[in-house]
Amino acid sequence: MANVAIAEGATPRPNYGSMSKDRRWALRWSYFFLVLFAIFFLMPPIYMLITSLKTSQEISAAGNPWWIYNPTLANYIELLTQNHYLTFFRNSAIVSVCVVAVTMLISVIAAFALARMKFWGSATLATGVFLTYLIPETLLFIPLFKMFAWVNETFDIQLMNHWWTLIILYPTLTVPFCTWIMIGYFASIPKELDEAALIDGATWTQTLTKIFIPVALPGIIAATIFAFTVSWAQFLYPLAFTTSTTELVLPVGIITTLIKGDVFNWGQIMTGALLGAAPPLVIYAFLMDYYIAGLTAGATKG
Amino acid sequence: MADVAAPNSIAAMGDSRSSLHKLMQRKSTVAFLMALPLILLILILVAYPAGYAVYLAMLNKGMTRFVGFGNFEFLFTRDTFWLVVYQSCLFAITAVIFKAIIGFVVAHFVHNIPSKGQRKWRGMLLVPWVIPPAMSTLAWLWLFDPSYSAINYLLEPLGVGRIPWTGEAGWARFSVILVNVWIGAPFFMIMYLAALKSVPEQLYEAAAIDGATWWQRIWFVTLPMMRNIIAITALFSLIVTFANFDIVRVLTAGGPLNSTHIFGTWAFRVGIEGGDIPLGASVSLFMVPILAVAATFILRDITKRGSEV
Amino acid sequence: MASRKVSRRRFVAGTAALSTAMVAAPFVRGAYAAGKLSLGLWDHWVPGANKASEALIKQWADKEKVEVSLDYITSQGNKLLLTTAAESQAKSGHDVLSFSTWLPSRYADQLVSMNDVMEPLIKQNGAVNATVEYLGKVGGKWLAVPSTIGSQIKGPCSRIDLMKQLAGIDVQAMYPAGSPPKADAWTFDAFLKAAEACHKGGHPFGIGLGTTSDSVDTAGALFHGFGAQLVNAKGDITVKSDNVRKALDYYKRLMAFLPEDAPAWDDASNNKWLVSGKGAMIMNPPSAWAVAKRDAPKVAEQLWTHGFPAGPAGRYAPFLPFFWGTWNFSKNQSAAKSLMVFLSQASSAEKMVEASGGYDLPAFANFTTFKTWAEEAPPKGTLFSYPNPYNHQVLSIAAAPAPHKIAEQIYTQAIQTQMVVRYAKGEAMDKTLDWAAKEIEGFSRN
Repeated sequence: MANVAIAEGATPRPNYGSMSKDRRWALRWSYFFLVLFAIFFLMPPIYMLITSLKTSQEISAAGNPWWIYNPTLANYIELLTQNHYLTFFRNSAIVSVCVVAVTMLISVIAAFALARMKFWGSATLATGVFLTYLIPETLLFIPLFKMFAWVNETFDIQLMNHWWTLIILYPTLTVPFCTWIMIGYFASIPKELDEAALIDGATWTQTLTKIFIPVALPGIIAATIFAFTVSWAQFLYPLAFTTSTTELVLPVGIITTLIKGDVFNWGQIMTGALLGAAPPLVIYAFLMDYYIAGLTAGATKG
Repeated sequence: MADVAAPNSIAAMGDSRSSLHKLMQRKSTVAFLMALPLILLILILVAYPAGYAVYLAMLNKGMTRFVGFGNFEFLFTRDTFWLVVYQSCLFAITAVIFKAIIGFVVAHFVHNIPSKGQRKWRGMLLVPWVIPPAMSTLAWLWLFDPSYSAINYLLEPLGVGRIPWTGEAGWARFSVILVNVWIGAPFFMIMYLAALKSVPEQLYEAAAIDGATWWQRIWFVTLPMMRNIIAITALFSLIVTFANFDIVRVLTAGGPLNSTHIFGTWAFRVGIEGGDIPLGASVSLFMVPILAVAATFILRDITKRGSEV
Repeated sequence: MASRKVSRRRFVAGTAALSTAMVAAPFVRGAYAAGKLSLGLWDHWVPGANKASEALIKQWADKEKVEVSLDYITSQGNKLLLTTAAESQAKSGHDVLSFSTWLPSRYADQLVSMNDVMEPLIKQNGAVNATVEYLGKVGGKWLAVPSTIGSQIKGPCSRIDLMKQLAGIDVQAMYPAGSPPKADAWTFDAFLKAAEACHKGGHPFGIGLGTTSDSVDTAGALFHGFGAQLVNAKGDITVKSDNVRKALDYYKRLMAFLPEDAPAWDDASNNKWLVSGKGAMIMNPPSAWAVAKRDAPKVAEQLWTHGFPAGPAGRYAPFLPFFWGTWNFSKNQSAAKSLMVFLSQASSAEKMVEASGGYDLPAFANFTTFKTWAEEAPPKGTLFSYPNPYNHQVLSIAAAPAPHKIAEQIYTQAIQTQMVVRYAKGEAMDKTLDWAAKEIEGFSRN
């Protein structure tokens, strides 16, 4: 049945003779299936919302889980006034913003060097940058403990259990991909532009700031959103490297402070999860087109 | 990528070699300095720890003695290890296939409707991809809860009994894959949608004039035009899915009976929870050769793309 | 090594040298503590219980003029375990950390000896049970101090009404409040019959068969009840024994009466099962009852915590102690020890027991009769039998008495529950035993 829809729908704009009746049906089927998929895709966040508006008594009563009998904002109020939730939120925000700044600084400059200037080993480096994407962080966190121990003994700098340690670690996850996106963007800028600038006596720095960055701005925004989303959602590193409630960031904070082995606090857990998902959702709501442009960067070139 | 960079600079060099000679010398130094933060970041925080992990994987349990490949030999004799290999492959491959299929189908439906409404639908359907996975997996955990499952509640009137979503090996495997597909499919949808839009309209017109049926149009026009993007997306997704940690960790923690453990979660179980750090490192290392195979495919593709520019 | 570290750090922390000197001398309570102390304590599952320990620690800190920073670390998702591993690898962390069950022995080499704390405490507060000694003392060295917070007996918590109606058992008569239990008829056979009756009546026992501690502990006690050891004290693998077969057979019959998804249960599942009113019994400390009191008072009124049924080899109950330990790289070991002594006094223990609604169990013999357990309600006396006041049952831990390194793996990899699930799902007995033997063989490596 789905196929019928695809058949007629693959070419929506032009009219092929008297197919308008078929097309109307195709359209209906398309909407029908889109609604089904939307239900599937949106069910968990909607259920989060429903649960977050319930009291824990109502949840334990095990009535209709999809209906709220006594809507309450208590979970939100409780969460936003205590439980260190605001600390998690602040930590997450600072970490994410700093990581985005560091990432963009490193990757835009490096991408420019790799895309437009050649130096010994630059080709290897470009490949190497990509390969780092393949090394899973589950492999890295234990050696990092050891390195932190060494740093602590040698320089007396304590890296464990500080939220700012994450600012050092997250760029390993964001920089390779952002650099890669930016190389793609820079490569698509006509060579004549910077050649002309260079011949006119512009320095490389000027070429970068006056020509490349303005032209590649959409790509930069896309990479920024990408870096933000990744640092906001990271799970393993904060789980491994931070412990104190004053140092935790959102996803891990929710999982480690709201879930208590024996006690279920699902109203609050869902509230926390929903609020934790909110910033990326808000950014995405406003910058969706850039976000999608970033995700699909290079897609159409392939 | 390397090739993307190279032709440009050669071209720049070719024109006026002598006058640019000085500049070139300076240029390579400047370029190196510009890339230096990137190099340091990768060397210190990725390459070195990765090398250290290889070293760790060759120590004994107490980390007092060098045992060479002893840990790997030991792993090969473990049933659980082979179970994890099997489950990792099953998990990654099945999940990627379903993500690709669902992404493809949904992209078609979105492409189908008038372009005015597309933005709205696209936005709605991309939501699972935007929510941090640890958070959305929590929602799924709650939907699957043995005592309070809201999904079972919906299925009850349909005559379906209580499904042990995370309780029985088969269902648990299904559940972790389902959640992974749910999170990843929107990404495929967006990529495919972009690719669909880049297929020239004339090709379809020509196909329609030739009397092609709907599936012939997909098979002979759409798919060939999208081949590259399908391959890249699938490979990228394969890498990420293979190295997954949070979904399985939060949803089942590897249970029941280790049936949903994948490399990342089992490495964690063995290394951290079981206190055998070298063995945990060895388990994680097994991801690398498998990922490297995927990488060579991607790199080949990139090189090809580079030479086309 | 240690001395080198000290000299390197001397200029940073003056207290470091002091505390290293203290290690050799016997620990004297009231030795001037001072300085800074960071604590990582187990995040309590009973709502409000953290406040008591916080207040106590503050009281101590004010008296000793120590600047204390306090973290509560959940054991959910093994965060506490991860933190312990991270601190051990990174050689830095909390001065006092909660060590769950097996961790003192795992990190034996990195922990400061607590003999100077434990020996006087045992003289003062009475002996500790064999399980605490097995887990906390290795080679004559006390690795950590048993902590009141979080230590628990995971005996049955039953529904008075359902057990009466469906199984014909009056749990209140069997374990009366204020007097010794009359539970001679409370055997594995009676337990199985009750499980069957409650299953038939639509309220199955909520016993998990997952890989988290609640499931493993129950299996451990049942195995002990059959005298079934997977590995003996010498480290020989004894999986293929009649007692293990008997335990598996028994469990297979029991599993037929448990919820279908029991293999996926975690530590919260059984609580939810009881609080939602679906189950007639779970094996849990009183946290489920505490939640029921808050969210489902009607259920709470019908709950009764009591002793474990007796098996052919005796009456064993799962006991899960927590410990407080100090790393050998901690910079303020003297203050850490001073705090542990303070928290192990009767008055402190009683406060923590009270705040946790009776959940916490002090390890010392003289501490099992606090009034909290007699008075907690509803229903009155529901917790009376919880701290094992008449030594009616042997407190045990799964996988004991195997050597620690092996026992820990059996416990954390949940070999016993996995065996049960395999066998009950139709695998041949010998195949299950072979599997377990092979897994355990792998644990013996070092």
